[in-house]
Amino acid sequence: MTHLLTLLIVIPLAGLVPLVIFRRDDRAVKQVAITTTAVELALSLWMLAQFHIGEADFQLVERIDWLPSLGIRYFVGVDGISVLLVPMTTLLTFISVLYSSGGAIKMRLAEYMTAFLLLEVGMVGVFLALDLFLFYVFFELMLVPMYLIIGIWGGPRRIYSTLKFVLFTLAGSLLMLVGIVAVYLASGDAGSRTLSLPELIEARGSFSADFQFWVFLAFGLAFAIKLPMVPFHTWLPDAHVEAPTAGSIVLAGVLLKAGGYGFLRFALPLFPFGVQAWLPAMILLSVVAILYGAVVSAVQKDLKKLVAYSSVAHMGFVTLGIFVLNQQGGVGAVLQMLNHGFVTGALFLFVGIQYEKTHRRMIADLGGLANIWPVYTTLFGVFVLASLGLPGLNGFVGEFLVLLGTFRFPGVPLGGLFWGPLAAIGVILAAVYLLWMFQRVMYGPIRESYRLLPDMTRLELACAIPLLVLTVVLGVVPQPFIAIIEPSLDRVVRLATDPGLILMAAR
Amino acid sequence: MTDVAAVYPEIIVTIVACLVLVGDTALGRRRATAALPAITVAGLALAIVATVTVVPLGHYFRGFVVVDAFTGFFRAVFLLLAIFATLVSPEYLERRRIPAGEYYATICFSTVGAMTIALSSDLITLFVGLELMTIPIYVLAGIQRGDRYSNEAALKYFLLGAFSSALLLYGFAWLYGVTRATDFAAIASYLVANGVASGPTIVALALVTVGLGFKAAVVPFHQWTPDAYEGAPTPATAFMSVGPKAAAFAAILRVLVGALGPLAVDWSIVIAVLAAVTMTAGNVVALAQGNTKRMLAYSSIAHTGYILAAVAASRAGVSAGAAVLFYLFAYGLMNLGAFACLLYVDLDGTRGASLDELNGFARREPLGALAFAVFLVSLTGIPPTIGFIAKFYVIQPVLDAGLAWLAVVIALNAVLAAFYYLRVVVRMYMYDPEGAVPRLVSPRLLSTSLGVASAAVVILGIVPNSLLEWAQRAAQPLVR
Repeated sequence: MTHLLTLLIVIPLAGLVPLVIFRRDDRAVKQVAITTTAVELALSLWMLAQFHIGEADFQLVERIDWLPSLGIRYFVGVDGISVLLVPMTTLLTFISVLYSSGGAIKMRLAEYMTAFLLLEVGMVGVFLALDLFLFYVFFELMLVPMYLIIGIWGGPRRIYSTLKFVLFTLAGSLLMLVGIVAVYLASGDAGSRTLSLPELIEARGSFSADFQFWVFLAFGLAFAIKLPMVPFHTWLPDAHVEAPTAGSIVLAGVLLKAGGYGFLRFALPLFPFGVQAWLPAMILLSVVAILYGAVVSAVQKDLKKLVAYSSVAHMGFVTLGIFVLNQQGGVGAVLQMLNHGFVTGALFLFVGIQYEKTHRRMIADLGGLANIWPVYTTLFGVFVLASLGLPGLNGFVGEFLVLLGTFRFPGVPLGGLFWGPLAAIGVILAAVYLLWMFQRVMYGPIRESYRLLPDMTRLELACAIPLLVLTVVLGVVPQPFIAIIEPSLDRVVRLATDPGLILMAAR
Repeated sequence: MTDVAAVYPEIIVTIVACLVLVGDTALGRRRATAALPAITVAGLALAIVATVTVVPLGHYFRGFVVVDAFTGFFRAVFLLLAIFATLVSPEYLERRRIPAGEYYATICFSTVGAMTIALSSDLITLFVGLELMTIPIYVLAGIQRGDRYSNEAALKYFLLGAFSSALLLYGFAWLYGVTRATDFAAIASYLVANGVASGPTIVALALVTVGLGFKAAVVPFHQWTPDAYEGAPTPATAFMSVGPKAAAFAAILRVLVGALGPLAVDWSIVIAVLAAVTMTAGNVVALAQGNTKRMLAYSSIAHTGYILAAVAASRAGVSAGAAVLFYLFAYGLMNLGAFACLLYVDLDGTRGASLDELNGFARREPLGALAFAVFLVSLTGIPPTIGFIAKFYVIQPVLDAGLAWLAVVIALNAVLAAFYYLRVVVRMYMYDPEGAVPRLVSPRLLSTSLGVASAAVVILGIVPNSLLEWAQRAAQPLVR
């Protein structure tokens, strides 16, 4: 029995102590925050090294009674799905903190770093929790720090955006809370009730069809808002545009994944009938998100908003991959979550770097930057290509697997041969809007006032390089990652498509 | 003699109240300001020790008084709230020149009344307790004699309070007429034995529900609340919003769930609808408030709705009662705390804080703002705070009793509420202080007690287990 996972949850909290002590000294604050997130990153990589590849079940499990009078446990563990998302989280947090320490944050630095460390607790916890109650606690814990990060350190319309973000998310998650309580009551008789995932999977045979229909809706709304799926995405562009760069990186890179992960971890295995009942809607909304996100991205005038809408399209691939309910689709969805984390995180980073120098975000105000920033242009170009799914970079692998899964999807209505090509159009559109954007921002005549702006600094490079390496590695040799994901994902798909249970519930 | 031993805590609090009154005149102004709160807190703490009761659980004073786990829980809650209310007051009282002796004595007398409600096993004891609890509160609301808003608050509260007491008493009379008993157990067994919904029983039930609804500020019987809360001096409001509400729910549990439990089929759906209306109306009106004190007044109405939802779910058994008790504890802590945070900005010439006065509060008073933010997050019901556990714990019996629609209404209301709670956080943290803001006094005692209370809100949100078990034990006597 190790306490590795608990350590992962505790370290950011422990970092708060020196942070509060040295709160008046900005340099010390930066050092503490960077050290803490670096230790956390190292530890999460150590966890990845400890992970036995090829096993479907949860590993490094820790289980302590938390509220024994209610049967609620502190229960954490990782499987092939979460074991990659945790290092992704810690890496993106580290990069965010590193970037923020470079001068992008000009006031109340100690409070800013406090918010980031608290946010990290929530994000890491979400991917580790195996008790629904604990999951909910971490899910909500992500909310308040992000609310403060957008609201205090954000742009001019930050207050409107942050309230919209919180209220949307809260509306979904509170309905999920009702769903969680309903699951809790259905899990057994008084005294033997539980919210631990393995026990709930055993008990799910007794969940009636009606029950699954409504509870899946409650969970699905929460995750769909977080993800976000069309038509619940309207908070996302606002939040991204106003958030400080590091906030955007983490918001797009990690927070959105909590939605996709929630579907895979809880909604699919627990409510197979609910999944079947809502399947047509989910597939439809996914494809709509892919196409709508792409079309809306194409007409954006604001660079950051463009990247935000491209997130909507990319997350559409995630939900599509999840709900075609086969192995290729699922593996593709998890890879797409990772890829989107690295690539979109990087895109927001580059938009932020650019904005710090030019103080312009409107595409029309930019142009010709390639003339003065060769390094920036090269790296940004790579991430843009990865985002549009160029083979050899990571974006391609995830989207290809999702499309493969979609084509093999026999389900209602119309089948994969209808939805697959539609989704593939989204890939083409992505190339259109991303390359068009790249052309308008990087080439053409340059404004005179930009002439003397410096290229990327060493700190900015240090933030970008790890993401670049991962983008290439995941694109060239995805196999090791697929091997990690596959067994656990298989298990989830089997649980979600158990024909006996679906029939039983329907009866 | 054992009869007297059964009410030691109440006796102690009464003595404390008298001591405070005597001390006020005996000590002289200068020494009294420091000594009176100390005496009050020490006495109330002693009473808490005494609640670890020396007598065996059971009935005393020929069945007029009952000492059980329920009594113990509420005694402790009332005493803790009174201590908290005492600790946040001294600096404010001195600043506003409010007579301290009367103030602390009134709080103590009101607490005795509340404790008497928890003790009651008979309509008569309950009514005496209810009046003993409320009359000092009328005084408390109007204790700032020179201030006309304070007078208005006291008068409104008194008139409507007296009206509701009359209704309640009339209901008790009907109940006695029907059942020929004033003892809760006797009433319940009569109702079980003689079928249920006859005309007179329904009249009694309606009158009792309305009367208690007034006391707990259930919509549509809430009209006195905003004015009374807004007009009363802020520390008094803080106490009024929690002590009497908890006491009213103690009464509701004793009467509706205890004595009239056999009629639950008749009243539970009515209560469920009242709960939904109460929380929705409270939240919607709170949204429109520009004055923080008034906003918190409406928010306290909304919380009445959440608690009432658990009452409506009483057929779910112990978990419903336990949810009411736990929520009352959580609500007491966070709501008293939230009102007390307004004491920082409640300076001469202002009546509660307008939202603008809170702009940039986090810069001016970092710890006070942090405590306020914690209370507000807890009132919203976001983990890891006690408010979240309370909400989770309330939804559970509501669903268990088959009131899924009510659970959804609770969830949606929590989103509405989040909007106005977080708006205050926005003002405190995301706005800059405007122009010439009045210089803030920085009361040390207030800051300390708010710090302790906000820490408790978080700690009990992470390790609530012993409190949950205590609430479950305390709710046991309600189930037959």
